[in-house]
Amino acid sequence: MIHLKNIEKVYRTATVETVALNNINLSVEKGEFVSIMGPSGCGKSTLLNIIGLLDEPSKGKVEIGGKYTNGLPDSQLAHFRNQTLGFIFQSFHLINDLPVLDNVELPLLYRKVSSSERRRLASEALEKVGLSNRMKHYPNQLSGGQKQRVAIARAIVGQPQIILADEPTGNLDSNMGNEIMDILTTLNQRDKATIIMVTHDENMAKRTHRLIRLFDGSQVS
Amino acid sequence: MLKHLFKLIWKRKKMNFLMMFEIFFSFLILFAVWTLGIYNYQNYARPSGLETDNVWVAFFDFNAPNDTIKAEYKELVRQQLTRYRAVHSFAFTSTNAPFTFSSMNNNVDYNKKTTMSEVMRVEPDFPKVMNMKVSEGRWFNETDKAGNYRPIVITRHLKEELFGNESAIGKTLGNGDGANSNDPKMKVVGVVDYFKHKDDFQKLSNCIFQPSDIWDDTMVMKVQEGSGAELEAQISKEVARLGKDWSIEIQQMDNMKSNRNNLVLVPVLILLIVCSFLVFNVALGLFGVLFQTISRRKQEIGVRRAMGATQGAILWHFIGETAVIATFGLILGVFFAVQFPLLNVFDVEAGVYLLGILMAVISVYVLVSICAFYPSRQASVMQPAIVLHEE
Repeated sequence: MIHLKNIEKVYRTATVETVALNNINLSVEKGEFVSIMGPSGCGKSTLLNIIGLLDEPSKGKVEIGGKYTNGLPDSQLAHFRNQTLGFIFQSFHLINDLPVLDNVELPLLYRKVSSSERRRLASEALEKVGLSNRMKHYPNQLSGGQKQRVAIARAIVGQPQIILADEPTGNLDSNMGNEIMDILTTLNQRDKATIIMVTHDENMAKRTHRLIRLFDGSQVS
Repeated sequence: MLKHLFKLIWKRKKMNFLMMFEIFFSFLILFAVWTLGIYNYQNYARPSGLETDNVWVAFFDFNAPNDTIKAEYKELVRQQLTRYRAVHSFAFTSTNAPFTFSSMNNNVDYNKKTTMSEVMRVEPDFPKVMNMKVSEGRWFNETDKAGNYRPIVITRHLKEELFGNESAIGKTLGNGDGANSNDPKMKVVGVVDYFKHKDDFQKLSNCIFQPSDIWDDTMVMKVQEGSGAELEAQISKEVARLGKDWSIEIQQMDNMKSNRNNLVLVPVLILLIVCSFLVFNVALGLFGVLFQTISRRKQEIGVRRAMGATQGAILWHFIGETAVIATFGLILGVFFAVQFPLLNVFDVEAGVYLLGILMAVISVYVLVSICAFYPSRQASVMQPAIVLHEE
């Protein structure tokens, strides 16, 4: 499903060169639930951004669903993200000026889906995360756990094959974190979604199929 | 997508109000400038109906004790001027000759319709000097003296106001309220289409030409091309020598027209400069507000990019948002602007106001698009991976 070959990411300024990722080779099969762990600054989020086509590697090849994504034009990358990938962020990244339902509809807005269909799919996604009673609320009226559930609904509304979660439980207490993990596990088991999750929490990582450890930009296990 | 934009704008209505007000303010300025510009251009584009090239205006002061002597003096002037080969034609007129700062108005009526008109007394050679063309009927001449009426030539504007589509030729006009009952009736013998006698920006107006009287001591004369100060000095000197205490002042009609045109153009130019400055400031304000808005919404941009928005979609999203806010400002502005044609303010045709509104709307959209483009472009090229991790 996802194959990374010899991935390198180097950030260069006029005076400093920082290696964020060094020779990463990684394969994730369809339906796998993989967690990535490592200390802060080891390149976890950079790796996730590269898999999510939000960033380009300095070297190496990225293959997702049998398609090499290196050098694709912006429009194709955007289309790919929209159709294939779902994102969940640590700080939720909901648009505070839009009600929950509109936040969830966002990926469909870029798919030219009719308004009524968007509404239907977004309502269904919110139902899946148990927030169908909060559709008209604004994000600032929700708790952290609820916000993350909205973010999950937004990630799954377009039924992507891959969900990328960047520390989804990082801003939540353990109870809420477990709730979010339950939802992600259900999505993986019931909907066969491939999930790659960056986490700092060993307990959360244990609930995934496979753990990848990074240290100073290199894969250590 | 439009609904999505409306929701975002509505939720940020307090922030967007300032921008909307700026756009409303810009619209009103641009509406004023465009309307004034269109009004003046439309008038300028119409034929003037007369030629001022090589036409001089002479202002005489005969210092005559009575009309009989004045008539003799005027005859002497005529005889003197016919000797100059460089003077092709001339005609005495009332003091309100074209492009002078003088005006003579009178009420005229026909069939219970009364209107105000400029009245110019001229000699029969006046159209020859000014190269004026009569579009209906003829100019009055010596044969009209035999009739018990006063022959007049009128402008088409007056003809349409009094007679509509009917022919005006042969119809008689009353002299309006308060006129002496012994005054002969005015009979229309001809119609001219255009006659701009104030400046090139004069709107179509009412004017009546009637035969000159003895006391008219202003003269228009057509001179040979290239005639200049030498001829002017010669005429002034020799004509002044004809009578005791006479004085004569000659001016070129082109210069007089240019002076009158400047009276219209200079205020328009000043208004244009002031308005440009104001609009420039508004544009700078818009630019700043948009930059600030976009820098506040970096994470939203990152999220949208992650959700599948292309760079183009981000660009058009922000331009679209600005366009929607501009539309609100314009709706408010247009509401005020349409009151001008509805209430017929300043007696300007409704079409001029409507064209002014249209041009101002287009100008605002162009202005807003220009101001929105660069910040929106900046937004579209933001790296989602970076902005999503910014605090």
